[in-house]
Order: sequence, then structure tokens, then C-alpha cells
Amino acid sequence: MPLRLQLTGITKRFPGVLANDNVSFSVKPGEIHALLGENGAGKSTLVKMIYGIMQPDAGEIVWDGQPVVVSSPKAARKLGIGMVFQHFSLFEALTVLENIALGMDAKIPARDLEARIRQVMAQYGLLLDPHRTVATLSVGERQRIEIVRALLLEPKLLIMDEPTSVLTPQEVEQLFDVLRRLAAQGCSILYISHKLHEIKALCDTATILRGGRLVDTCDPKQETSRSMAEKMIGAGLKDIVRPEGRSMGEPKLVVSRLSTAKTGHFDVPVNKVSFTVRAGEIFGIAGVAGNGQNALLDALSGEIRSDDAESITIDGFPLGLLDTTERRKRGLCAVPEERNGHAAVGEFSLSDNSVLTARDRLGMVVMGLINSGAARTYTGKVIAEFAVKALGPASMAGSLSGGNLQKYIMGREILQKPSVLVVSQPTWGVDAGAAAAIHQALVDLAAVGSAIVVISQDLDELRALCDTLAVINLGQLSPAKPNAEMSIEEIGLLMGGVHGATEAHDAVPA
Amino acid sequence: MNLDLLIAIFITVVGASTPILIAATGELVVEKSGVLNLGVEGMMLVGAITAFLVVFLTGQHYLAIVLAAGAGIATSMIFGFLTLSLSANQTATGLALTIFGTGFSALAGQGYSARPVTLLGPLFPAELATHPVLRILFGYSALVYFALIMVVAVWWFLKKTRAGLILRAVGENDLSAHSIGYSVIGVRYAAVAFGGAMAGIAGACFPLLLTPQWAERMTAGRGWIAVALVVFASWRPFRLLAGAYLFGLVMTMELYAKAGGGPLSAIPSELWAALPYLATVVVLVLISIRRDASTNAPACLGRPFLPSN
Amino acid sequence: MQFRLEKRPEPSKLMLYVTPVASVLLTMLVGAIIFSLIGYDGVGAVREIFLTPLTNSFKWQDLGVKAAPLIIIGVGLSIAYRANVWNIGAEGQYVMGGLAATGVALATYGMTGWWILPLMMIAGIAGGAAYAAVPALLKTRLGVNEILTSLMLTYASVQLIYYLVRAPWKDPMGMGFPQTRRFAADALLPNIIPGTIVHLGVPIAIVVALIAWFVMSRSVFGYQMKVVGAAPHAARYGGFSENKTIWLALLVSGALAGLAGMLEVAGPFQRMVPGFPTNYGFTAIIVAFLGRLNPLGVILAGIVMAITFVGGEVAQTTIGLSSSATGVFQSMMLFFLLAGDILVRYRLKRVIPAQEARA
Repeated sequence: MPLRLQLTGITKRFPGVLANDNVSFSVKPGEIHALLGENGAGKSTLVKMIYGIMQPDAGEIVWDGQPVVVSSPKAARKLGIGMVFQHFSLFEALTVLENIALGMDAKIPARDLEARIRQVMAQYGLLLDPHRTVATLSVGERQRIEIVRALLLEPKLLIMDEPTSVLTPQEVEQLFDVLRRLAAQGCSILYISHKLHEIKALCDTATILRGGRLVDTCDPKQETSRSMAEKMIGAGLKDIVRPEGRSMGEPKLVVSRLSTAKTGHFDVPVNKVSFTVRAGEIFGIAGVAGNGQNALLDALSGEIRSDDAESITIDGFPLGLLDTTERRKRGLCAVPEERNGHAAVGEFSLSDNSVLTARDRLGMVVMGLINSGAARTYTGKVIAEFAVKALGPASMAGSLSGGNLQKYIMGREILQKPSVLVVSQPTWGVDAGAAAAIHQALVDLAAVGSAIVVISQDLDELRALCDTLAVINLGQLSPAKPNAEMSIEEIGLLMGGVHGATEAHDAVPA
Repeated sequence: MNLDLLIAIFITVVGASTPILIAATGELVVEKSGVLNLGVEGMMLVGAITAFLVVFLTGQHYLAIVLAAGAGIATSMIFGFLTLSLSANQTATGLALTIFGTGFSALAGQGYSARPVTLLGPLFPAELATHPVLRILFGYSALVYFALIMVVAVWWFLKKTRAGLILRAVGENDLSAHSIGYSVIGVRYAAVAFGGAMAGIAGACFPLLLTPQWAERMTAGRGWIAVALVVFASWRPFRLLAGAYLFGLVMTMELYAKAGGGPLSAIPSELWAALPYLATVVVLVLISIRRDASTNAPACLGRPFLPSN
Repeated sequence: MQFRLEKRPEPSKLMLYVTPVASVLLTMLVGAIIFSLIGYDGVGAVREIFLTPLTNSFKWQDLGVKAAPLIIIGVGLSIAYRANVWNIGAEGQYVMGGLAATGVALATYGMTGWWILPLMMIAGIAGGAAYAAVPALLKTRLGVNEILTSLMLTYASVQLIYYLVRAPWKDPMGMGFPQTRRFAADALLPNIIPGTIVHLGVPIAIVVALIAWFVMSRSVFGYQMKVVGAAPHAARYGGFSENKTIWLALLVSGALAGLAGMLEVAGPFQRMVPGFPTNYGFTAIIVAFLGRLNPLGVILAGIVMAITFVGGEVAQTTIGLSSSATGVFQSMMLFFLLAGDILVRYRLKRVIPAQEARA
């Protein structure tokens, strides 16, 4: 049988980076082929060239035995290449049907299109109401739109870009079922991920990229997760070093019945969240994106203020009514998920970004005037101690890579020696080296007696890092349990909104 | 008040609201594509002087309208090039366009102020509009019917056509539209050009429909009111009609007050003159109190499009 | 040879300062060409508008007097625009400042004392700030777009002048002209250079700009304006309230526009007349941008704009060019500046032919 897709010597250069360097591999019909690599390894660039969003600087793409130039996504779809993006290309204000129509190149009357959509959905067990507005759908449902849109074109190759990062473990299983059925019918699948256990479970072949180069093509079922990880990262994995004889102290951060109001149309507020974090404890909050994590972080940091002073206390001192500045003075620092534009200002220098959150704790303001020397000195210290790759305190925050900016932000907060640190998605989109450094810094901060809250969608991260876990779903927090006592199935069910029997029992009025 | 006066008032209201309605219809399409062009006032002035000069020199009213539309497009392309091709700040560029249109039209119209031209006559033969009630239907010039047809056409285009769907998609999420394979910049250029043409025609209404002469700044902020009207209408074409007629009514009252229209003239004429602007503020306040007002705004409105590759 | 744009890792400081100068020079060049093409004496127009005010020392006092209100209003706008607050109703706030000062001057008519001018100044500042408070209130309470409200209020303020000078404030000895009486001596700005028209407003403008520069670059207030403008979400995270910033931005820019209004009515105008709104409030928008929203840059930009105003008048008398040509030149300058902005964020790069890249 001829190869479905064959890449030879693909090279793509961006200013200052060689994103793909002479990459060659091939995909057979009906094969589920993993493209594995860290963030920044060049996976997305490579598939963007296959899908016609970008053009390679050099190299050849051969499709069903014919050399082709994929000049646009439209040309790709014409060849039979479909793609499901990591960041969905959906239009929130439009309906499912309108969204799918936009993705179709042929002009199909709305009624016929709807019939075909219903047929595809029935065939693959993907349930959706075509007339609903996308804004009202969950993340998993939104992904189904993308998949249906791709399947309507009866693709011969389906590219899935990090499809499971937003799904619950159960939704992941459903997705895998669909993909296996497709493959059985002869559709090739190019599956991009950095989650090794998924690749072992799903894929026939894995191509591993590192720094834009192809490192290895292997059979994931013959490899261990560790061996693939080491190929991906290029060095032996560093484990988190935990100090010996660590013990939890007194309750430090106590949150009780913390709620936020619904502000926007589509955001999820938190509802009566209660938990306790002891000195020296790392408390993890798992959950699928969009279940109130942002509201929880804002409510803890003080961006959203509570109307109950006692809803948040540190060492018994009530903070609920205070704003971010006053909470910081009391020792509560926070790092939101979005780095550029929320945790830092891209257009400002690192030094000016230090003024943003450290000005009061570190005395950078005297009589309304900013002591820029103090800000520079502190920023220099952050850069040095957290090995931030930047030219110096005067570098623009926006010029740093995601991982380096995150290291700077974490450093900026940790070196303020907060007694409570709340972080959201601390290593999202960060390369493994930086992620390990950030994890180590959190563990070290806990070791000196700070209470730490980690909100993350990355279960692997939470499992490795946390002493205690709870799950947030639709703005409600499950009861906390020691990490070691929670099974992955239990976490998955909680993420999907299925609570334990006791919970359900409590909810019924007596 | 007799029937004739009421009909006369009605017809004046329709006339006064027409330029605002045309300009607002154009701006609605521009904004639906995710672009905020605050240069409507400037484009209208360029359209007004173009139409005036063409009529003054040739006497051809319809040629004047077509050329005014062309002048509006040409002016809008300055905005389009700066904001779409060079991703300049849309607010600042729109302001600059208004300053430019004001200066350019004054320069081009130098020496022509207070020179009379003829108004564009009614579209239908006078026999059709002899009866007062028929006059309400058939007594207007082509520009008035054009305004109404365009409102319907824009509604149909946005709601029912694939091109309209693509335009809305571009305004809703430019990056997604780009990744699916639509030309965000191309769609936006087309929308900006349409807005320019409509603003040019709206400007042409001033010498052709309202006051048959040229005066510097003769649009007197109507372009800005049109921008406000789009917000008032929550980006829905048919709601533009209600808003435009409301403003037409306020402006007609001003005309009657100035002409010594009985009880209306007890209030200082300056207050009447200020009323359309104050009414705009009041209308913006009222609309913002309604909760769903901004939820219909295109999500990308005013944001420059910067594809990552 | 082909070029393409390539994003710079950091915005270019050099380009930030080169582009305003380049846009002035380009305006002169392109302006000369365009005006020649449409049948004017293009070179003459550019010479009269841009050079004569500089070479003719008799015009220097005019430059100072025209630049002062542009600088004062431009400084205020530069602060507001930094905070991403689009106050474009400075003209109206300038008018209200002038009217408030006029009210004080008329109420104290017949009295003498050093306190009258400071009182007028306070009234002017308060008048401008109060008028800017309306968009601030509507923006922070109801989310009403400040661009539209501040602009609509400008149109209304002009009608208020017409009303006041026609009826209650009309000069009883004015032979029916719609204007107020000439202010008493103690309500007029003193000249600071004898024999010229240079009044106290000129040094005040420089002092205002210097203070604003210091505050914007060194203080928490300046930081707050900049951070809210650059990243409102980050500002909230850093503990700065967006609403408070909107209020501050509008009040400061309104107060400065009001101050400029007071200085104009008590200086060059000496009374309130229907022709008091002279577009300083709109031209100051260009001044703020041309000055790169930096108070020191605003001083230079204010002088450049004053040159075009004075030069526009020169061109009107010498070569019969309409004064509206000035507006065309001014907006061209802003167009070039906005177009040049892309060079701050991107650089032009020669595209290397494909075969070399493959080698």
C-alpha cells in the first residue's frame, strides 16, 4: 500500500529560531501516528505546514505518492487533510451549524448540511445540538464541533493538535474510541501530544521531535514512558528533591464558603468553596478548564473582593474585604494563569513589572514616587536566582519566552517570601527544564513554612507536586484528600461532576 | 394641528434622518467585521463636498451621488491601509481621518460657500404624490428610498448570506477565521470600503437633500451621531431605523423652533441646537442600562489583527 | 529587491523618536507634491507654513502664544491616552474652562485685587474637570463609551457659549455684538515680555509639561496610568482600580483643558466671544500623538503645530492658501506618524532569494 503522507527534509526558519530542521517521516493509511515533543519542539509548526497555514522553506510533502504544494488550508482540505486545533477556531457568538458551515469550502444549503451533520454525529456517537450557540457549550462539546467539522470532509488524514489537554479522563476515552473507529476505516491520524501514557495507549508509531529536529521514530508500545520522555527532553529526568523530615504546621490559609458573583455572560463563578492549607503544605486543585478556576484565583488574590471578611483568613486574620495590595502586605501573593497581560505587562520592562506586585512588600515606593533603583536591584536578584534568560532588568517582559517569563513571575512572587502563595497553571506551556525548576522552587517555599495552593489542569503535575488534592467542577470544590489516597478514576469522576455518595446525600434536604 | 402640517413634519423627519441612517448602516457593517472606524464624520464631509462640486459643475445629481460614494471609498482606504495593512491604532486613525476630512473638504470647498445648487427632486412623478397620504409614500428623493433599501439589504446580507456569515465570523474571532482559511484583512478591507461608500453618500445628502449649498463642517457631528447610533442599535440593522428617526425628530423640532414655530421657540434656539448631541448622550446612557446591550458587540471590535505567522 | 516586515523582539526606542521627526519631514515633502498637483504653489505653501514662522523672528511670539494652549491640553490628553482613556472632548472642556473663568471675571467686574486671576484659574480648572466628569461618570457607572460622550458634550458646549454671549452675559455697551464685555485689568493675564503678546500662559505651559513629565515617569500615579492603559487585567492584579484610573485620566485632562481655556480667555481673547472655540482641543489630539504621549515630546509637538497654525495664516495672506490647508497638513502628519508606528514594532528586512536560503 502506498504511503498516505511522506515528509522529506522539511525545514522552516523563523527570525532567530530554526523551528523545523530537515524533518522526514511518513504516515501509512489507517495508522495512528504520534508526533511527540515538548512545547517549542516544532510540532505545531510542522503540522501547520502540512495543513497549509505556513509554507516550508525547504523540503517536500508527498501525498498519496504525489509531490504536492499545500498552499492554504483550503488546498489541504481539498486533498483530504482535516485538522482539529488545540485552540479551537470557533466563533462563540455563532451557532454550531454556522460554525460548521464556515469550515466547509463547498456551499451547502443549511438544511442539507444539518442532515449530514446529524448523520456523522450518529455514526461516531458525537452528540450535539446544531442550533446551540457555541458560547453555551462545554469545552468537550466544542471539541466535538471541530471533530464533526473535520469528519464532514471525509478526511484521509486527520491532524489532532493536543486534543486531550482540556478533557476529563472519561472524555479522553470517548475521543480515543472515535479515533480508533476512524483509523479502522482507513483514515490516518496524526496525533500531537506530549502525554506519554496517551500515546502508549493510542498510537501505532511515534515520531519524536526535539528542538526542531527529528530525534527518533519508534513504536510507543515497545517503549516505556520514561524512555520516550528522555528522548523528548534529551537528558535524564530530574526528580523533585523533597527535604527530609517535612511536617505540616498549623492551618495557615483557611477559606470558608467563598463565593463570587457571576459577572460576564460566559464565566463560571465559585460557589461556597471551603478548604484549609497548613503551613508547609502544597494543596492542589484539579479540574477541567472553565470550571471556576479563574474566579477562584481572582477571589483569593483580591481582584474580586468578598463581602465576608471571614471567608479568607491567614493565621486567623480575616482578609476577605481587602484588595490585592493589602492582601499582599498580609503575605498573600498570587500568580494567575495568563502570563502576558495578567501576571505581567508585555510592554513593560521586567523592572517595571517588579513594581507591579512587589512595590509595597519591598519598599519600592517612597511618598508616591517609585524607587526605580530598588526595583532594578530586586529584578536582578530574581533573574539571577531563578536563572531567567533575559538581557537584564531592562528587557521587555514580552520579549521573553513563555518559560522564562513564568520563571521570572514565579521568582518575583517567591522572593517576596509570601506566607501564602496561590498559583494557577504554574508550568502551562513551559519547557520541561523550566517546569522542573518551578516545581522545585514551590517545594522549597513550602519547606520554609509557606502554604501553597496550586490550581492546575495538568494531573501529572498535581500528582507529582501536591500533598493534598481537591477537584473543582462548575465552581464547586470537592472535599480535599491526601494525594496518595486518591485514585485517578476518582479524580476523573470528580472532574466530570460525579461526586461521591456522601456528597449527593448531603445535597438532599433532610 | 392640521394633517398637512403633520405630514410636512413627517417628511422633514424622514429627510433629516436619512444621512444618519445611511452612514450608520455602513458603519454597522464595518463594525460587524471587527473594525471601529471613527472617521465617519470626515468621510461624510469628503462626500458632501464631492457631491456639491459635481452638482455645481455639472448639475448631475446621480453622478454626484456615485462620485461621492467613490470619494468616500477613497478616503476610507487611507484608514484601511493604516489600520489593516499597517495595524495602526484604529481609534487614533479614525480621529485623524475626521480631522483630515474636515480640512480637506474645507480646502476643496474654498470659495464655494453659499453658492446655491439645486436639490435632488422626488423619485416618483408628482402625480403619484398629490394626495397627502400618498406623499408620505411617494414624496421623497431616491436617497431616502436608498437608505431604507440598504437597511433591509444589510440585514439580509448579514443574516442570510454566506458572505455575511463570513463577515460576522471575522468580526467575532479573527484568529479563528484566519486559521480556517478566510482572508481577515480582505474581508475587512471590503467592509471598510462599503462603510466609506455609505458615508460618502450620507455626506452627499447634505447638499442634495437638506441644504442646497456648501458650508464648512456642514455635517455638524452627524457622523459621530451615526457611530453612536450603531451602539444604540446593538449592531442590529432594523434598530437603526428607530434611532435614526428619533434623531430626525429632534432635528426637525430644532428647525421649527428656529422658524418661530409657536411654543417651541420659547426655549432658546441654542438649546434646540444642542439637543441632538445631548439626546445622543441620553440614548447611550439608556442603552447601557439595558443588560444585554454590549453582548451583541462583535468580539474583535477595534482590535488590530496580528496573525502570528 | 524585496522587503518584508519582521517583528522586533523589543520595540525600537530609536524608531519611537525618529518617526515623529520623519513624519513632519514627509508631510513637508508629500504636501508640496500634492498641493502642486492640485494646482497650488506647493513648494511655496510648505515654505510659508513650515519655515516662515521659524525664520521670521516677528512670528516667534505668535508661536509661543499658539503653542501654550496646545501644550497644556496635549499634556492632559497624553496622560489620558496613556491610560487608554479616549477623551476627545478636550475642546468642550476648554470651552467650559473659558466660560467658568469668564463667569468669575464678570462677577468680579469692578473689583480689584491680585486674587481675581488665581480665582479665575481655579474656576477654569474646575469647569474643565467638571465637564470631563460627565463622561467619567457615565463610563465608570454604565460603561458608556467616553469617545462619543465627550465629543457630543463638545458640540453642546459651543451652543452654551452662543446662548450666554447672546443673552445673559452680553456686553451692555457692545452695540448688539454677541460677546461679553472686555475683562477688567485684574482679570487679564499679564504680559511677561514687554512689547510682545507673550503672556503668563506660555511659561505656565512649560511648567505644566515639566511637572507632568516628572509625575508620569517617576510616580505611582504615572505608573498607574501606564499599566492600566497597557494591560488593564494586569493592573487589577497589581492593585490598581480601572475605574479610579478612568476618573483620574478624565479629570486631569479635563482640568488641563479648562486651564488652557482660562488662559486663552484671560489672555489673547480678553473677553468671551462666539469664536472662542478655535479647535485647540482637537489639534491637541495630534499634538499628544506627535509628542509620543510624553509630556516633553508634547512641548516639541506643540511648537510644531503652532508653526503650522502661524504658517497657515502667513500662507493665507501671502499666497492666498485657505487656512483649512493647515488642517490637511496636520492630519497628514498624524497619518504618517501612525503609519510609521509599524516600524517601532517591526523592522524592514530584505528578503533573501529562495535559492540562497536553500543552500
